[in-house]
Amino acid sequence: MTVNPLIEIEGLRVLFRGDDGRTTHAVDSVDLSVRNGATLGLVGESGCGKSVTSLAIMGLLSKQSSEVSGSIRFDGFDLLKTSDQTLRDLRGNRLAMIFQEPMTSLNPSFTIGDQIIETIVRHRGGSQRSARQRAIDLLRRVHIPSPEKRIDDYPHKLSGGMRQRVMIAMALACDPRLLIADEPTTALDVTLQAQILELMRELKAESGAAIILITHDLGVVAEVCDEVAVMYAGEIVERADVDDLFTAPQHPYTVGLIGSIPRLDRRTMHLATIEGMVPNMTNPPTGCRFAARCPFVSDACRKAPPPLVEVSPGHWSRCIKAPLERLVS
Amino acid sequence: MATLLEVEHLVKHFVAERSVFGRPTAFVKAVDGVSFQVEAGETLALVGESGCGKSTVSRLVLRLIEPDAGRIRFDGRDLLSLDAEQLRAFRRKAQIIFQDPYASLNPRMTVSQILSEPLALHDLVPPADRRARVEELLRLVGLEPRFARRYPHEFSGGQRQRIAIARALAVEPKLIICDEPVSALDVSIRSQILNLLRDLQDRLGLSYIFVSHDLAVVKHIADRVAVMNLGGIVETASTDALFASPRHPYSRALLSAIPVPKPQAKRGRMLLQGEMPSALNPPSGCRFHTRCPHAIEVCRTDVPHLHADPAGHATACHRASELPPGDTIVPSDGGFSPTLEKLVAAFSGGMEGPALSGVGTVGASPPAGI
Repeated sequence: MTVNPLIEIEGLRVLFRGDDGRTTHAVDSVDLSVRNGATLGLVGESGCGKSVTSLAIMGLLSKQSSEVSGSIRFDGFDLLKTSDQTLRDLRGNRLAMIFQEPMTSLNPSFTIGDQIIETIVRHRGGSQRSARQRAIDLLRRVHIPSPEKRIDDYPHKLSGGMRQRVMIAMALACDPRLLIADEPTTALDVTLQAQILELMRELKAESGAAIILITHDLGVVAEVCDEVAVMYAGEIVERADVDDLFTAPQHPYTVGLIGSIPRLDRRTMHLATIEGMVPNMTNPPTGCRFAARCPFVSDACRKAPPPLVEVSPGHWSRCIKAPLERLVS
Repeated sequence: MATLLEVEHLVKHFVAERSVFGRPTAFVKAVDGVSFQVEAGETLALVGESGCGKSTVSRLVLRLIEPDAGRIRFDGRDLLSLDAEQLRAFRRKAQIIFQDPYASLNPRMTVSQILSEPLALHDLVPPADRRARVEELLRLVGLEPRFARRYPHEFSGGQRQRIAIARALAVEPKLIICDEPVSALDVSIRSQILNLLRDLQDRLGLSYIFVSHDLAVVKHIADRVAVMNLGGIVETASTDALFASPRHPYSRALLSAIPVPKPQAKRGRMLLQGEMPSALNPPSGCRFHTRCPHAIEVCRTDVPHLHADPAGHATACHRASELPPGDTIVPSDGGFSPTLEKLVAAFSGGMEGPALSGVGTVGASPPAGI
């Protein structure tokens, strides 16, 4: 879909096999691509498959319990076919990830310096001393005050916002080409969130890395993303440029999401709600997966799975009613 | 409007460290001289960053923890002088809904038991009629009466929060404290709960104290807002006045940081530098001066007090009158395009009826993924 993409995902499918013999279709035929220097927002509610998609890219899903198929092309490799050794060389190096919980993703028994230096020495080699200097520079780059002292602190001495900065510093240690950020600001206060988002914007401008930002917060998406993919029940239901998505969404689910956010500009008595539940993913419905909750549903929606079609240049929707303008004119 | 709750100079210091002999040596000044009022039928929001004391205030008001000093009057009665029996009677009039609907419901009790317990405890409904009342409560919060026999694990997060709301409503309270009631929920579920809270307020004349760090939600639900920083209120005003033009530099930083779902939103963002100081050792003078871009000498030495203008907009800042106007602080999301406006209306159109009456049943089919 994009010219000269840095990462191109085609037909990604992830199945989890449960002990009871049931299969959960967590991610189903996902196509995504991100070009150099762009930020893609991956949006959806709990359980829609956005985090599983990111774990599949990083090769972090357990081989025993999951089946991953499709292709993920990154930097000349197909990440689903490369050896574990190659993956280990890529992770933390050209491919980096920031997790949601800065409280649990740092090792409490090592100083933050140890943890950043480990990454640098593993991928770049060199002496402890030069790695330490680089770690201090990285901490300074993410605006940690007096980094020469802070580098010897253990994670418990840092606040949530500081820990998230350390995570970002660690992810940036080897100048990654692609940074995956899974809900990087969800655990933080709004003032810290603003600082971290500003930092991510700054870093993108400096290094030209591509970012995949996973979030359920449409406000955050509007602030930092260039493109957005909306996921529902394991599928991408809409994909568009950020401006197009917020001005003219083409999937009813996206309309519902946008309508359900409280607005700053005026007072609405009632917010839009999306009634019902996400379908059971051990046995997904045959037709459109959103049909049971969609107010615009018709019989045709339930018959066959709708394809992802290009409604206008660069704007894709998995809804047979698109363009939705027709529904209200 | 009658004043339902009056809080004056509320203080709570937690002991952080003790000497070997058990004498307290360090205190966390969680709440340090907080005063506010809640009118009947009104929603007051308490906002601020984690650790500012907003949750402590909400627990003090219910006497779930005892204050060190101050006065709380509820319906004209002094709360702090109540004995155990009177306190129990008071709890009938004031209830709380917690943030995490997974932790606040007893997993070993059925929904029916959870909802009948307060009825039995306060001897409100004779045993023979309790089943009918439970069904009525479930309908009130938009759940099907047949759910009464189920256990909490059979419900989704949004449904559990509805059960927690039903439990709070069981005793027909006048005041409900909502401590981050929607923070743990997905966006679409969040809007259902917010709509429900508002319907219930309109129908039952409830007052809410709404504790939240999500300012867009606060803007939607609250009539008045009190902004807290490190144990004190720095600004209080009607929601419209505060969002139109916040006056305290801390409120400005907070409000300017709201992410809005509109790319290229106009904003005059004020990024705070540095970290929130520790409540164990708060800064002298104005507690915000270490992070305030407008701080001058007097801010470091003198504690500013809340001063209200005739409209009731109160600010605790030495420099409030000298600051640049604040009307461009809150980011503008510019509204929807006319087409999107119609689409959103059409999207919620089919659901309008049940949502308004509050008896719309959610989750008619059993929850997925269990």
